[in-house]
Amino acid sequence: MTPRVAVIGLASDFGCQVQMTNMEDHLLDVLGAIELSYWQLASSGHLPAEYDVAVIEGAVTTSEHVDTLARVRSTASTVIAVGACALTGGIPAIATDGDLEAMAATVYGEDAGVVAGGRTAPKPVHAVIDVDYRVPGCPIRPEEFVSVLQRALAGLSDRPPREPMCAACKIEQNVCFYERGSVCLGVVTRSGCGARCITLGRPCTGCRGIAEDANMAAARDLVVKAGLDASAFSDALSLYNTLSEVR
Amino acid sequence: MSTLSVEHVARIEGHGTITVEVADGAVKGIRMDVIEPARLFESMVVGRRFDEAPLITSRICGICSPNHAVTSIKSVEAALGIEVSERTKMLRQLLVYGSYLQNHATHLYLFAAPDYVGQPSVFPLAETHPDVVQRALRLKKLGNELTTLVGGRPVHPITAVIGGFSAEPDARELEAIAVRLHEAAVDAAHTVELFSEFSTPAFETDGEMLALVAENDYAIYDGEVCALDARWCRPVADYRDFLTETVVPHSNAKHSTVGGRPVLVGALARVNLSWERLLPAARVVASKAGLRAVSRNTFLNNLCQAVELVDAAERCALLCEELIAGAGTSKPVDFAVRAGSGTGATEAPRGTLYHSIAVDSDGIIVSGDVVTPTAQNLANLEADMRKFAPTIASLPEADFLLGIEKLVRAYDPCLSCAVH
Repeated sequence: MTPRVAVIGLASDFGCQVQMTNMEDHLLDVLGAIELSYWQLASSGHLPAEYDVAVIEGAVTTSEHVDTLARVRSTASTVIAVGACALTGGIPAIATDGDLEAMAATVYGEDAGVVAGGRTAPKPVHAVIDVDYRVPGCPIRPEEFVSVLQRALAGLSDRPPREPMCAACKIEQNVCFYERGSVCLGVVTRSGCGARCITLGRPCTGCRGIAEDANMAAARDLVVKAGLDASAFSDALSLYNTLSEVR
Repeated sequence: MSTLSVEHVARIEGHGTITVEVADGAVKGIRMDVIEPARLFESMVVGRRFDEAPLITSRICGICSPNHAVTSIKSVEAALGIEVSERTKMLRQLLVYGSYLQNHATHLYLFAAPDYVGQPSVFPLAETHPDVVQRALRLKKLGNELTTLVGGRPVHPITAVIGGFSAEPDARELEAIAVRLHEAAVDAAHTVELFSEFSTPAFETDGEMLALVAENDYAIYDGEVCALDARWCRPVADYRDFLTETVVPHSNAKHSTVGGRPVLVGALARVNLSWERLLPAARVVASKAGLRAVSRNTFLNNLCQAVELVDAAERCALLCEELIAGAGTSKPVDFAVRAGSGTGATEAPRGTLYHSIAVDSDGIIVSGDVVTPTAQNLANLEADMRKFAPTIASLPEADFLLGIEKLVRAYDPCLSCAVH
């Protein structure tokens, strides 16, 4: 039977869902291999009672999201989390450190109580339900999404790269940012993007999450050896990896 | 009294629900509940470094991220007193226009068109109208390729930084894409024809229209904010003086008014306010399609977006050619960090986007404010729904709700932008 796929958005900027539509050349092929049961962004209809694969974008920021995820996990046999928000809490998780009520008041003033209700501290999807497959990045890369989706449909294991991106960065012949006196999170961040930002002249911000094989202690030494403030490394990590245990 | 609703309206960006209250066959109340969760961006940036503002605030919206990035950069540059090169401005215009091509093509073909051919999504059209779907994908893909060429990727540009660009496309790449942009103007003109064939209800909005206007250009990157009816133009930095934002109980997005009236921003407002500054090619197809300035029919926002596709394709080709021929650099200019505050505005695909920021002498952000196009449009969207609903109240329930959804989708609302 053709696998039925539902695409579900939590708190996000929809950028990863946009990247899914950015597979222009593959979109119709991929659609031939699946039955798209639900995608609010693209089609009218409701989240159906049954589907096989759930693709989840976004961070968990409300009690409604928690309920939705519980329903999704009991319905779908396969859960794919896509993007930094779903994997690490991403940018929405910056709003974790502060007092939620005070933060809401900054935006809505004294009316904060009537809107933004049901808000909880931002969390990644795996903090609420088990996740079977992960597509990292802010935003995700369409080709990586297709490849993970194909692995999921074939029942292969989840295999995101485990190593940081320094090797890939060297292949691109980039000059290391530490030699230029800047903090770059490529030393600890999951590879697989071809060190795109660094190649285009910007330090890595860690959007793909911390690599399993990252050596955090060595990375912190590198920061100090480069004559940089050790706190600059933590500040950089607080952009995408504020909830990471290894931070 | 009975209640009709459309939960999680499809083919718009973000989560919203339409609720209609009906008694004795008449519409008594109608509203748009914006249930998109608040991510509290304005509080998120406080305490962070000034150069993180564009990176963080562009995550308000992955659909128009180049606009948020460029607008946030402009606000920081205004706060720090940074002047950038003409070349940088041209590259930023390409990023904004790339976003127009992506967004307008996506909205018109994937989100709006299914309504007019009686389909729930674009997917069935792939079989019945393959040529139309191919054209849609070509336009959208070209927009993506343009943003990728200039910004490094289609969503969340990498290279646009405070003061300039961290990398620039080479002349050969610009040449190749310029050729395709000229060709795309043909696809865009066919898009105008397609949307001019769809029948739209005779309807007039009562809202005030606002857009950036520049003397010699169809303003998207610079200019003053002008009001169509009130006939004033004001600097963008004064936006808090003319735009009033209020919190409403049923929406996580604030509502806006100008001079006590609801506001309409976006393609319709821009075409009305800058009709003479459209490129001749765009004005010709617009006139052929029966469009006239001034039009107050909200449903024609779709047609105006199509006209802007023609204008954007031609204008981007010209910008590429000018960049190839031109000298100068987009290398980030040197600047000193100082305490200050500033506002930046651009025309995003859905309308005028404002970012403002205040930083202390160490460059740490003390406050931030973002006013998005959809947030400005929401009060007028509801006013339009109230005015339009009674005119179609005799239709069967499904057709009535589809009519209301069409009106909502004509605004091309982006609810993650609206709430942020």
